[in-house]
Amino acid sequence: MVIKNPVEKAGEHTLGVLYSNGKVRRRREWRGIRDTLYDYTRWLYLVSILARFVVKPRNVKGMFRYRWMSNYLAVMHGMDKFTIGLRDEPLRITHTAMNFVIADVTKAIDDCFRGDRRLGNDRAFSDRCVLTDENAMTAFMMGFPNVKAILREVPTMFAANIFNQNSTTHYLDVAQEFGIPGDVCPMPEAEAGISIDDDFCVLGRCAVQVNTTCDGSLMGNGLIAKRLEREYGIPTFQLVAPMRHREEDVQEYAAEDIRKAIAFVEEHTGQKWDWTAYFESAKRVNDATRKRIEQLEINSTDYPQFFGSVFSLYNDTNYMGNCGRNADFVKIDKKLLALAEKGVKNKRMAAKEYRHRCIVWGVQPQYCIDMLYWMLQCWGVVPLTDMLSMVNTRMIAEEDTPENREQAYYDMAWLNENMIMRNRTHGGYKVLVDELWEFCEKMHADMVMMWEHMSCKALTGMHGQFEEQARAKGIHLVWVSHDLCDPRVFSRQAIRDQFSSYMRTVMREEPLDPSIEVLPDNDAW
Amino acid sequence: MSKTLLRFFLKLFAALFGLFAVTFVIYFFNLDMKATSLIEPIFLKHYEKIPRKQYV
Amino acid sequence: MRDLKHLIYFENLLQIANNELITKAKKDGRICAAYTCENVPEPLLNLGNAFSIRLFAPHTGSMDIATYYMTNLLCEPSRALLERAIEGGFNFADCVIAPDGCTMMNRCVENMELLHTMEAGNEHFFHQYMEIPLKGDENGVNLCRIQCTNHILKPLHEHYGIDISEESIRRAVEDHNEICRLIRSIGEFRKEQYPRITGYEFHVLTLATYVCPKYLIKDKLEETLEELKTREPDDKPWRVRVLMAGSEVDDSGLIKLIEECGAYVCADRFCFGSFPGREPIPLTEDEDALTQVCRHYTYMCQCPRMMNMEKVYGRKQYVADLAREYRADGIIYEQVKFCDPWAYERLLGSAMLRDDYGFPVLSVDRPYNIASSVGQMRTRIQAFVESIEIKKIKRGE
Repeated sequence: MVIKNPVEKAGEHTLGVLYSNGKVRRRREWRGIRDTLYDYTRWLYLVSILARFVVKPRNVKGMFRYRWMSNYLAVMHGMDKFTIGLRDEPLRITHTAMNFVIADVTKAIDDCFRGDRRLGNDRAFSDRCVLTDENAMTAFMMGFPNVKAILREVPTMFAANIFNQNSTTHYLDVAQEFGIPGDVCPMPEAEAGISIDDDFCVLGRCAVQVNTTCDGSLMGNGLIAKRLEREYGIPTFQLVAPMRHREEDVQEYAAEDIRKAIAFVEEHTGQKWDWTAYFESAKRVNDATRKRIEQLEINSTDYPQFFGSVFSLYNDTNYMGNCGRNADFVKIDKKLLALAEKGVKNKRMAAKEYRHRCIVWGVQPQYCIDMLYWMLQCWGVVPLTDMLSMVNTRMIAEEDTPENREQAYYDMAWLNENMIMRNRTHGGYKVLVDELWEFCEKMHADMVMMWEHMSCKALTGMHGQFEEQARAKGIHLVWVSHDLCDPRVFSRQAIRDQFSSYMRTVMREEPLDPSIEVLPDNDAW
Repeated sequence: MSKTLLRFFLKLFAALFGLFAVTFVIYFFNLDMKATSLIEPIFLKHYEKIPRKQYV
Repeated sequence: MRDLKHLIYFENLLQIANNELITKAKKDGRICAAYTCENVPEPLLNLGNAFSIRLFAPHTGSMDIATYYMTNLLCEPSRALLERAIEGGFNFADCVIAPDGCTMMNRCVENMELLHTMEAGNEHFFHQYMEIPLKGDENGVNLCRIQCTNHILKPLHEHYGIDISEESIRRAVEDHNEICRLIRSIGEFRKEQYPRITGYEFHVLTLATYVCPKYLIKDKLEETLEELKTREPDDKPWRVRVLMAGSEVDDSGLIKLIEECGAYVCADRFCFGSFPGREPIPLTEDEDALTQVCRHYTYMCQCPRMMNMEKVYGRKQYVADLAREYRADGIIYEQVKFCDPWAYERLLGSAMLRDDYGFPVLSVDRPYNIASSVGQMRTRIQAFVESIEIKKIKRGE
């Protein structure tokens, strides 16, 4: 059912005028006086975050040492991608969530440089740090309030790619020069390339790696660990997350390995596991879970408020990178929910028309391309949720009792197994295929935008099943192929063309804003 | 006294308004990103020159 | 050398998945437990009345239907197996037991299940998916034991009444060990300067032990071993000796091609090769047999998915030790295209074997069926052989 926005959108209507052939946009969007001024104040806030970062000499030194730092020249550009066409509550929600993520990443880079042997070389700080994977759940750190989990790959690879689509190409080239084939997932491949190129910060007392999302990710770890151990003397622990994570008969295995990981961190950092800190964190994990479920309920109504890439990006950061350890997320969660409730009460819409309700599935490149906002503004297709946001909904034990201390290992293991992406790409076809149709029903979706990451074997291995089952259920399934963070394989326009072609040929629809159907942004950051 | 104060506030207001006008122009015309996009190639050239110990 | 008496017999067994011995075993009323990964403890599929068959797809040509279901981005073995299953080539199986090992093989079996490729006419048919240990430790042994109980023993017993007692497991392990000892004894001849068995012949024999009911080929293996003891080797030396490590080699043509280029394949450390797949399982009376089998598979496993660093480094040490024991001049790290685990292992393995252990290494990817890439592969092998020869000349050998 098509829902028309009764309120005419203030400001710019044809968004195509903002795009240029260069790296950046011609100008920022005019959103009417109120929302433009709001956006401007948020811009000032981001400028202040970056200014505080840049005044530290070691950070300037870092800018000259690490290639990936150049991607952070594009922070504001990245922010503009996520707010395109937004007004009112959706705009405020996006800024609240995304600004917090940017502040968090800035702090992560600052921490990396502080402990880095090449830059800050703060040994006392470095000795309190444990390196962890970018895609790993940090649950095993919930009871170490005095130890810092450094997700070294987040600023180096993942966040950098949010701001600049070309951030990984150099590292992919390095990895392939050394012999990794070009057909593996570019994400772990780029991380391996960073390690080969010696472009990671070197810090930490020890490292914990997890078999996160895929075989490539698991295998890349060994290569990175070898350099950490043999060149830099940083011992690594490989934490197991079983593949068939829904099965009861793997939980004991997973819990036992969590015990070992904790013992490893204790042994190397000299810090003892703190149950009080753990259960405090557990309460925050549950709080975040409840809020996420409420957000999804709001998105199940006719007036979704918190959506697009930022929805999953914020949830990823909160769910995995934070995992209840930072109390600041609770305040942000509360603020986001209040804004979303206000938005749904006022029936706020982010486009002039909602034509289709869409679930975004598959392994997504949507952080480095403003695809989900584009779908909304160009075709009136509302992205309700995405695969990466459909993670744990189970509450974990949060009271400190002897039984719950035992249960805690199972809870941490459960969270670890249910890291984003892998909780869907692994664990059998039911979690990937069958549950998608359940979500379609719950969220009243008539369309699925299926990101087909050409190097993700877990997903493409179910291609035919998705196709046949969607047809049988009468759900529009739009395949959109891409190669995650390698824009040389599928350009942004090639990605958009696949969607537009479906909308024109199968749905027989015309765009809401034809000015953005084709955009000259292939060379843009 | 009140005139001095008024003059001070006027100057402060003018300064703040000037600051707002300048930053708003930078913001609206995306001058910040246009400037950093010019810097990026210089950095990329610099990174190529850094000696690196590349190995598996 | 004179041809081995049973070589053609064994070669013929490898021409189709549903070979004559499977038909015979089924006629004998036996239950076929099919599997797809070497991490499945094989003796447990050979309990009582059951026999194990490793699924493979010889002479694979078109994979169009499987490519529709899994795209052309998945590795060829997984697509070849699915295609063969859809064609009905595995209809002899009474169950499929697949570990969630590498993602692609797991998806292959899931598609087999969803497409109901094998169960027609067999109401007892079942699919089982196992979790397999990711680290070589006691926690992994415990997991392996639970998984084998829940996903192999119980279903075999419940669906087909297979005897899963301690005695039955011990008997199956002893049968398994006999085959392993035969293959290992035959393989020992590869250490000789003038080996009396080629790498190709050895591969045919080894592969047959995975894809045929073992009890039906044991006599011919014994006869072959006896024959080898008196077989006269060629007096012409091989140009070089190489060890092969990597993804599964289901196509003996690849080994033949390498040997045609003058490189003797003296050791096989690939999935479903004899190292470590044909390592006998020692059993003691101190512990139940199931746990000992699981311990053997957990610690012996050389799968690249084993991720603890002892295993990561240990795998390279294992290859280096084998290469020295079998006097290899060089190592070929091969990978079936699109195989993620071996893509990374090939890089790290080839780098470490070259830099840390001093072996010349060829790192190469290949199709499942070598017939589609003979020219390219031959060029790579020839260049590798020549490079080793040049090194030998420089060393004055």
